[in-house]
Amino acid sequence: MKLMHTKLPEFIAKMKRAAVVNTPEKSIEIRGLENLQHAKMQSLRTGRIENAVEEMAGNSDVVKIELVVIPRVPETMHTVIVKGITESGQTKKAVLEVINILHPTEEAELIGCDDIDDRRPSIGRH
Amino acid sequence: MANLKYKLIRKGVVADKIIPLNIVMVDSADIKACGLQLRDACALLGKQFSGAVGINVFDMDAVTTTSDGIMVDTALIAMAASDGGKINPDFGYLEMAEMPYSEELIELEPHLKQWDISYKGRRLFRGPDPKTKVIPVHNVVMSGRAANNNSATEMMDVVTMEEILLPYLGQREIMTGGEVLLGYTGEVISVGIGMTVKELYGRVFPTRQFGAGDTAHGSGEYAKTLKRDIPCIVADKKVLAKYTVRALEAGMIPGKDIGCSPAVLSLAKAMGLEIAFDNITDKAKTELASIDITFESLKAPCERMTAQMAIDHADEIIPGVVDPTRLKASDISQDCVAQV
Repeated sequence: MKLMHTKLPEFIAKMKRAAVVNTPEKSIEIRGLENLQHAKMQSLRTGRIENAVEEMAGNSDVVKIELVVIPRVPETMHTVIVKGITESGQTKKAVLEVINILHPTEEAELIGCDDIDDRRPSIGRH
Repeated sequence: MANLKYKLIRKGVVADKIIPLNIVMVDSADIKACGLQLRDACALLGKQFSGAVGINVFDMDAVTTTSDGIMVDTALIAMAASDGGKINPDFGYLEMAEMPYSEELIELEPHLKQWDISYKGRRLFRGPDPKTKVIPVHNVVMSGRAANNNSATEMMDVVTMEEILLPYLGQREIMTGGEVLLGYTGEVISVGIGMTVKELYGRVFPTRQFGAGDTAHGSGEYAKTLKRDIPCIVADKKVLAKYTVRALEAGMIPGKDIGCSPAVLSLAKAMGLEIAFDNITDKAKTELASIDITFESLKAPCERMTAQMAIDHADEIIPGVVDPTRLKASDISQDCVAQV
């Protein structure tokens, strides 16, 4: 089986396409992926999100889509790599550390919105 | 229709310090009197506010420990975070674990000898059982912008990134109508919060990772800067002295049985009591020295104070809190009710 995951640029392109496929006058703003350069996106959910974007764009009251990607678990653990680079560009020495980051949960994006269709599986499921 | 009483420290500015979100404190006895479960009560309280709120639930008949191992009557038993009137179903609510009394537990955590001496028969709560929480590392609950961390002793708005430190004794003063200091943490508290005791299901750490005499910071001179500029609400220093002196008089040795925080060390020195210098790690020693608490200064001869003298002179003995304003609990919090 191939294409189990979608390339990041392809994911973004798909969302932009889904927003305008039936509604070329509408726009989409994507936030939360700005810091990613190399990523493979879960394909199954890519299709479901494309579907949601197209569906949202089809709502006559909606003029613009915002697609916001936030961590599902709001504390994320990151490896920090402190690299010492020589004049020739070689990594002379590195220190590995860890840092945990707290992020807002979805309620911060949804203040004042009562019509929320939560299609997420429970944590740990696909 | 029942009314649920609670205390509120309202979001805003007090004495030029930012209170970054609404802070709610509630007695579990009042929750039970309304026939509510703790979680349902937190949901009700969250609905009283349109914005970010941290919610702390107390058992006034239980007992807890401070991060330097001082036992204190009353305890936090649950915490919540709410935003937009909602508590996140996965991450917004957490209960602390009750630690059943046993001789084996006291052997593993010697600061709990205070339990028998001063608080016999009370139920003990500190942090949560990690098996009950979904957030991987910190003992934190989060909903939207609101985060309530380290078992309900730090609250923040994650979007504005403003935070307030709420050491346990200060919260206890609010609940019991005492007096608090509102100030900035400064370098002393920044260093002091790194002093630890070994605890299973502790307020900050789930395992017995750091013992008395050690520090969790391990960042040398940087430790004093880590939480230096954060507003804090702490107990009047006489209250901190009263509980610390009680622990010292129960035979707790700083650096061995209880943590080597600046407050503990300063009171032990003032009373001429033993300090386990040999058990204080180099990492902790470096951090203490960075705020001018050195072994030499602690060993220097001084007039030995009685327990009562040390409590009476707590403001001069205990370092810490920058730009403090002394407030009655009723000056900074208000009594409110939520209709059940």
